[in-house]
Amino acid sequence: MLAFELFMQGLVQGSIYALIAVGLTLVYGLLRILHVAHAGLFTLGGYIGVLVTNATGSLALALLTAMIAVGFVGMALYRFCYQPILDRPPYVALIASIGLFIAMEEIFRIIFGPYGLSYTAPPLQAPIILLGMNLKAAEILTMVGALILIGGLGVLAGRTRTGIAWRATVKDPQMAESFGIDIVKVRYLNFFIGSALAAAAGVMVALLNNLVEPTMGSVPSYKALAIIVLGGLGNVRGTLIASLALGVIESFGTIYLGFLLDRDAIAFAFLILVLMIRPQGLVGRSNG
Amino acid sequence: MKSFFGKVPFLALAGVLAAGAAAADTVKIGFNAPLTGFAAADGKSANIGAQLAVDQANAEGGINGKQIELVVYDDQASPKNSVPIANKLIGQDKVKIGISGSYSGATRAAAGVYQAAGIPYISAYAVHPDITRAGDYVFRTSFVGEVQGRAGAKLVGETLGKKKVVLIVLKNDFGKSLANGFKEKAALFGITVAGEYEYSIKDRQFGPIVSKVKADAPEAIYATGYFFTAGPLVNQLRAAGVTVPVIGQEGYDSQKFIEIAGAAAEGVVITTSLDRDSKSPETSGFIAAFEKKAGYKADMVAASGHTAAKVAIAAMRKAGTDDPKAIRDAIASITLQASTGKISFNKLGEVRKDVQVQVVRDGQWHHYSVISDDKLLAPPEM
Repeated sequence: MLAFELFMQGLVQGSIYALIAVGLTLVYGLLRILHVAHAGLFTLGGYIGVLVTNATGSLALALLTAMIAVGFVGMALYRFCYQPILDRPPYVALIASIGLFIAMEEIFRIIFGPYGLSYTAPPLQAPIILLGMNLKAAEILTMVGALILIGGLGVLAGRTRTGIAWRATVKDPQMAESFGIDIVKVRYLNFFIGSALAAAAGVMVALLNNLVEPTMGSVPSYKALAIIVLGGLGNVRGTLIASLALGVIESFGTIYLGFLLDRDAIAFAFLILVLMIRPQGLVGRSNG
Repeated sequence: MKSFFGKVPFLALAGVLAAGAAAADTVKIGFNAPLTGFAAADGKSANIGAQLAVDQANAEGGINGKQIELVVYDDQASPKNSVPIANKLIGQDKVKIGISGSYSGATRAAAGVYQAAGIPYISAYAVHPDITRAGDYVFRTSFVGEVQGRAGAKLVGETLGKKKVVLIVLKNDFGKSLANGFKEKAALFGITVAGEYEYSIKDRQFGPIVSKVKADAPEAIYATGYFFTAGPLVNQLRAAGVTVPVIGQEGYDSQKFIEIAGAAAEGVVITTSLDRDSKSPETSGFIAAFEKKAGYKADMVAASGHTAAKVAIAAMRKAGTDDPKAIRDAIASITLQASTGKISFNKLGEVRKDVQVQVVRDGQWHHYSVISDDKLLAPPEM
């Protein structure tokens, strides 16, 4: 029974990782940039979620506002930060991204204060008993929400013309462009979707903890990098598997290895172990 | 990974609020605290608390006719910043006494610098035992972690009468020294530890630990941490249907804890230094003045910053000179009624005072009991 509870808790955590890491792997797949500032967008999503919920009382509206607003901020980051340095070596973008992330954390602190924000009346805190286990409604929303959002992404990528253009651009940007695909539009779309997913994760984490703070992106900033490496850089399916696997492994590890390694150390030990056996990641590098 | 994605050192001093060009005839008190980064909330409270003590003393005429100036630098709670700050305060700002409004890592590193320079240094609320061991110029106005942990054991085993306890331990020197003190005296109060789980300071999601604690079915939970970890923890424990008492410590001591944990905060009991319902004019006066100055409710960190600055000022007045040796001796022999109670120091420079027990009732911290047990609470002498 405890094992089942730990497994479910792992899936909740894994769903959050998935929402964050998918955007990161999309950006890497398209532009070969390690977008560390993505974790800042996750934090921004959390802040918008709490502020809008507190102002209007509607979590649905807050989630929608956070996703759309952060989606646009993600596009702006691409336009003003990454686009001007795309022709430089990749480490230039990485350094810019780290700087941007630190700046974002401090901007959150200056605007929203160092104490973090909480919901005045936190929604979805009611316990729901599922298969004999107490789960918060917010935990169920996190899992179901991640499933719907990422499922929707799968449909968009697999079944629509936009999705085909997107995948073609990832696979071979020059060829895609010569077929008349506007690759700049694809990049904006990419940043919009990835950032919106991170914002959704931020709103959900805020619900689970009833706290958003300026530094809440600091763990995801590096753990999401580990996850996309695990999943095979640029591979969405692999990233999802890696996210859920890591969530579950951390969940059991926290209890049974906690005296030895903390949660982050367990995550990175797992990463090292996998890369020793499968250098290409759990699923391997995708070409499209 | 932390060093790679951590804050770039040269940014450390950005946003520092140095108190500007100083007039020649002021007395300077050095102050380091985390004003940015993860511990910025505590740094801000400690800073406002210390500044309040300075303002109050200046209104009374300062020190022997001179106005007092608090020279503040941001250390981001990191030793790599606190050491250069200590050197700067001593060498450039020429302070005659320093105060740490920071965490243990930063304070411990800076303490060595102050000791070597022969300038007194007071740690407001950092708990690591080695801080005062830096030497005879280093003092502390808060409990060492172990002492407060021992008080926690007495609270759980004797006052609350709970014998089967699970420990949830924040894995840093603060959380671990509290847990060590608790375990050291657990048997004395008939407590058995049914389980012990550790978490890192960055954790906010405790799902797996909560599940395991539920399976352990303890009579009480002793959880070490800060308001920003304990708030989510208590919230998640209650949401999972764990209803047994949760006992915390001064790290919880903030109105913010109650805000984060929400209704789940009700009934949480902590050991701390600040009694919200105190009849002492010193304490109630501080609580009112702090809320007026800061715009939010006083917490333990604020009271500790205020106490440390008050000790520094009282010692400088008593010494009557700006000779650091005379100021040190004045601190060592001081007895003072401060916002955190009546305090004095032992020969290691550790504070002697009662432990305040507070409980959350109707969304506010309130008086629960006081633990005054000189033997149990005796700070280390060496």
